[in-house]
Amino acid sequence: MNVNFDIQGKQAEPSKPPKPVIKTKNLDFAYGDSQALFNISMDIFKKEVTAFIGPSGCGKSTLLRCFNRMNDLIDIAQIKSGSIRISDIDIYNKDVDVIELRKHVGMVFQKSNPFPKSIYENIAYGMRIQGVKNRSELDETVESSLRGAALWDEVKDRLNKSALGLSGGQQQRLCIARALAVKPKIILMDEPCSALDPVATAKVEELIHKLKKHYTIVVVTHNMQQAARVSDRTAFFYLGRLVEYETTEQIFMNPKNSKTEAYVSGRFG
Amino acid sequence: MKSDTNKQTTHLFSQRFSRNKVMELSITGILRFFTYLVIVLAGYLFLDITYNGSKAVFTKEAPFVNFQFLTEKPQTLHVFEPADIDTQLKSAKAEILTKSIKRRALSNSNYEAAEAFTLAIKDLNKEVKELDDLRKERRLMFSDTEYRALATTPSTKDFVYSTYAYSGGGIGPAIIGTILLVFGSILIALTLGVLCAVYLSEYSKPGKVLQSIRLSILNLSGVPSIVFGLFGFGLFVLYLDWGVSLMAGWFTLALMALPVIITASEESMRAIPKGFREGSLALGASKWTCIRTNVLPYAMPGILTSSIMGIARVAGETAPIMFTAAFALRDRLPWEGLENSTDFFFQGVMALPYHIYVVSSKIPQNEYTQNMQYGTAFVFLLIVGLFALSSIILRVKVRKKYDW
Amino acid sequence: MKRYFHKELTELKNKLILLGEKSHEVVHLSIEGLLENNIEKVNEAYGMDDYVDVLEMEISHACIRYMSLRGPVSSDLRLLVVALKASKDFERIADEAHSIAQKSYRLLTTEGSLKNALNLSEMGTLACQLVNDSISCFVEEDIDKAFLILKKDHEIDAINQKHFDTLSNEASRDEMSDTARFNTMLISKSIERIGDHAKNIAGEVIFLLNGDQ
Ligand SMILES: Nc1ncnc2c1ncn2[C@@H]1O[C@H](COP(=O)(O)OP(=O)(O)OP(=O)(O)O)[C@@H](O)[C@H]1O
Ligand SMILES: [Mg+2]
Repeated sequence: MNVNFDIQGKQAEPSKPPKPVIKTKNLDFAYGDSQALFNISMDIFKKEVTAFIGPSGCGKSTLLRCFNRMNDLIDIAQIKSGSIRISDIDIYNKDVDVIELRKHVGMVFQKSNPFPKSIYENIAYGMRIQGVKNRSELDETVESSLRGAALWDEVKDRLNKSALGLSGGQQQRLCIARALAVKPKIILMDEPCSALDPVATAKVEELIHKLKKHYTIVVVTHNMQQAARVSDRTAFFYLGRLVEYETTEQIFMNPKNSKTEAYVSGRFG
Repeated sequence: MKSDTNKQTTHLFSQRFSRNKVMELSITGILRFFTYLVIVLAGYLFLDITYNGSKAVFTKEAPFVNFQFLTEKPQTLHVFEPADIDTQLKSAKAEILTKSIKRRALSNSNYEAAEAFTLAIKDLNKEVKELDDLRKERRLMFSDTEYRALATTPSTKDFVYSTYAYSGGGIGPAIIGTILLVFGSILIALTLGVLCAVYLSEYSKPGKVLQSIRLSILNLSGVPSIVFGLFGFGLFVLYLDWGVSLMAGWFTLALMALPVIITASEESMRAIPKGFREGSLALGASKWTCIRTNVLPYAMPGILTSSIMGIARVAGETAPIMFTAAFALRDRLPWEGLENSTDFFFQGVMALPYHIYVVSSKIPQNEYTQNMQYGTAFVFLLIVGLFALSSIILRVKVRKKYDW
Repeated sequence: MKRYFHKELTELKNKLILLGEKSHEVVHLSIEGLLENNIEKVNEAYGMDDYVDVLEMEISHACIRYMSLRGPVSSDLRLLVVALKASKDFERIADEAHSIAQKSYRLLTTEGSLKNALNLSEMGTLACQLVNDSISCFVEEDIDKAFLILKKDHEIDAINQKHFDTLSNEASRDEMSDTARFNTMLISKSIERIGDHAKNIAGEVIFLLNGDQ
């Protein structure tokens, strides 16, 4: 049967096979005595948006924070077994510099957390702590990051005003811009839209969609619709276990696991 | 008809009498009473000091401020009382005394005679008051320098002459000494305190050890100030051989203020939202960079305000400086007559709290010394108030700047 | 604000229009082939059905995908529902045209040609026009045209009824073989069904445009 136009609108089936950048193998993770993640194995693919969904407390944030070792800040947190490799480097190896890792793997938090500085200084912060002093270089990065985060037009006249004067959605995009400024390859977002109104949420989603051309993005969300809209692949977690990890279409249209089915259709619990 | 009115007076939400309500009212009353009691006591204290102290500090004439009192060194007060009035006064007082003794003897048996004595005493009291006012008018008072400069001293025939230590002149060196002590100890205490607090709150691992360190720091603030004074005396004055000096005073005061500063600093740093730290660490900042750029700047105002208050509190203590830094009298200002510049740090100074202590406990109390005591206390209150005010202003200003 | 996935809706719409045009083409070819006794056209019409089926499947897949991933509401949702139903109708139209082609082939190969006693020509043109109109009222969002289709469908029904009467009376039995009569009857019925489907589409367009059932 000769069909001369391709089947359009299908995501997650790029022509060449996707390349995994974050490879998690048999990860067991615990906060002190209570184990938070059990035997997680999953590959996250390059230049795709991967969504983590699951009920509260199932370990989405925990896994996300493993990817840039933010869990190092918590004293009782420890990886019991398994490994995480980013670009084929074991990031929990002794010779890994956390600072370099975090420059490579940026993070955007649930609650937007702009520093109480000017918009300009917020974006420049990441470069300044790396010792960049050159004004024109800073200017350039600030502008390109703000443009990248689709915020430039809204703030270009008030770069020297306090970032705290921005609206919630703008603040969140500012945080994304701030993460972009250190030129990461991977961006982790922990519930980036949880405190935003639908319009701001839509803007952030647009942004995520746009960023996916250049970055690998992992996004934790409680909003099923959002996971469905922005992601290429979706992972469903439950009680610290990875229940199902498939293309978003598969998860939302025809999940294999009955728990996933119940969760995405709102029949959970 | 009756049920009708009943319906009107007691509806669903009408007032009802209950035990709870009585409790509520009486508790409110008790709370209010004690609060007002405290306010009245404190108010009386401040008003008393302000009223009496302002007599020494302010004048009725043009500049309205007694600069001499604020700048001069303390001196012996020379008082000349007019002799005639003095004798009259003395006899009147003696008479009052005899009359009141007699009255007391009579008071049980002869009521009418006692009444007569009471009236007489009343009259005499009036007379004493008049004489006293007169004496005040004609009294001559000189500070030591003035006294020496006199061409002719008033004749002892016309005047009764007496002297009182420390009660003349002013409190200039004490003010300067106090300010030096406060600023020096702020500097030392802030440096030490903030460094400790940064380590404790940011670097140390929470656990039993940290808990016990915190506890002992807290306990330190319960140690009586005299113990700090003796400790400073033993360590700085004797063992390190700094002598009674500014340095010894600074360190003793700083040590005393440390618990407050460390606790306050830790508190301020803990109040910084976690997001700032995580935000900067996630951008690839090292721990120290994160603290330097994203914790300390925002915590500093809080640290400063509470530290200033803490130090101001400590600076009011007499005991810690009594053995370590304070001289009862030193008429050279700290920068006068220094042989080399390090001497500046190794000299004793006068200080307001110690001065108050000296003038009110080391010399006999009378109407001539009162002026100096109240004046000193008032000036000291003003200085402490100034510190408090500056810390409040700082806080308000900073609140506006960083509002998260 | 236009979201990045809104272009999926546009694509869907275009695909639906394409489907409509394809089914119109099948109808047109099969009826023209029959009327002109043109076996080639009939054959061509007969072969196009698969293509339409694939298109219809794609549309329904895209609709379901959009519904489950994008959470559409109001006019977007109506469009999706309409696309689902209309694609089915178009597919049915193409099916009917397919069976017309099949019957025509039989007629043409056994009888040689169609007996001109019937009004198939007018009926066919009318059906073609209805299908065409149903597409254009969707494209142009023209609600008046949609209502017009509802009316015109009755004409086709009337013609079909007449054909039934004609073919079932004695006179025609002498004129035509039984097979020819049955086939002709089925062709007429199919054309009538095409009109019905066009009417359905018009109804769906009305629903799309003003939201009333
Ligand atoms: N700092 C911590 N110390 C101890 N336990 C923790 C800590 N953080 C998380 N946990 C525990 O780990 C488990 C997973 O937590 P996590 O924050 O990863 O959940 P989550 O899936 O992100 O939930 P949510 O959707 O509510 O953010 C929870 O049971 C939680 O109680
Ligand atoms: Mg979470």
